[in-house]
Amino acid sequence: MPTTTPPASPLDLEALADSLSACADVLHARLMRAIRSSLPAPAQALPGSIDHGLSQGAAQALFENEVALRQRANGLYLDAAELAGLGLDGQQQVLLELAAQAQEKIRRVNRLKDMVSLLADLLALGAAVAAGKPEHLGAPLEKLRRHLADLQAGAPPSVQP
Amino acid sequence: MPLHRLFATLGLCALLAACAAPGNPAGARLQAVRAFAAEAPLLDNYGELTERFRSTYQREKPFLSAQADVGEHLLDARRQAACDDLITLQHAVQAYLRVLGRLAGDQRYDLEDQVKGLGTAIKAWPDTGLDERHVNAYAGLTRLLARQLTQGEQDRSVQALLRDGAAPLQTLLDAMHTLLRYYAKTSANEARIVLGVLEVELPFADTPRDRLLAVLGKELLQAKQAEYRTIGRRYTLTGHELDALARQHLELLTRLDPPDPHP
Repeated sequence: MPTTTPPASPLDLEALADSLSACADVLHARLMRAIRSSLPAPAQALPGSIDHGLSQGAAQALFENEVALRQRANGLYLDAAELAGLGLDGQQQVLLELAAQAQEKIRRVNRLKDMVSLLADLLALGAAVAAGKPEHLGAPLEKLRRHLADLQAGAPPSVQP
Repeated sequence: MPLHRLFATLGLCALLAACAAPGNPAGARLQAVRAFAAEAPLLDNYGELTERFRSTYQREKPFLSAQADVGEHLLDARRQAACDDLITLQHAVQAYLRVLGRLAGDQRYDLEDQVKGLGTAIKAWPDTGLDERHVNAYAGLTRLLARQLTQGEQDRSVQALLRDGAAPLQTLLDAMHTLLRYYAKTSANEARIVLGVLEVELPFADTPRDRLLAVLGKELLQAKQAEYRTIGRRYTLTGHELDALARQHLELLTRLDPPDPHP
């Protein structure tokens, strides 16, 4: 619950900032015209206008006004950005949680694949037993032992079949 | 012989699986999801432009008068704080897209490697009564079975993730595009302050005494003009990319669970 009423929507702030920027543009164009016409020979300038002759100091002072306008506009764009960024935490949280759940699903699939590998080991073991060749038992048994160790190392406490 | 019963069972399963094999809308959809998720790195551009927004003051500082510097310094502090929050949008969206891509992954539900492992394990024992024919049949059937049984599950998971993430993803992409517009407009004012200083001062340096200053100033002006033109195009381009992502995502949503499998 906001304690102060928000001054405006991001769009309002943006529109205001746009118009300040546009003012600054007009001011800049006017300033540059004055500088250009005053510097070589202010022949066609009307007496009393800024075209009549503009010192460097005066040009700098006028430019300061333009900068101030642009800073004000940029302050408003920042206000708008802050406002636009508000209230997005919840949406971000939803996406991050969905990502975490999907990651967990991927882990379960990988465990399933491990189980299939385990089945291959068991079948190889069974084949060696069926053939009555105990000297062939060593390799499949060792593979089986390794798979079981991997499975236990990677598995969370509760094992879901 | 129990082995014969095993093969008979597998043969039946394979028949069932083979019926489900031809024509694969789920596979096409997964491929589209993978292509969409692979665009995740495009969001780095948003991150980089957020960082550029953050460092506005650093670039302006040499061009500011003492008075203007005070105001800009205050803005800078607020900009730093805002960017800490605004950069996290990118991370949430990217985390989602990456896991979506992994879940829809080509190899994710693929048991090919495991099946191959089984085949070679059995082949290593030629005198066990399991001959080549049995081994190949077993490996082939299992492969088929595994693929058909699990791709449906994969497809369902991916669809659920797409559906559940739809609203927040669109909201965040939209917010990022709006923020990008504020960044671009801020950058435009920054450009006009920086270029403006040079434009205002250069005519006064156009004297024989300040020749060197005039030459260097003009060089700097041209370099800065080029820099701001380039960055301006980048804001536009990144905006288009965000739009394209949002559109692609909406398009994927229309392909979820078609009521008729034959369009």
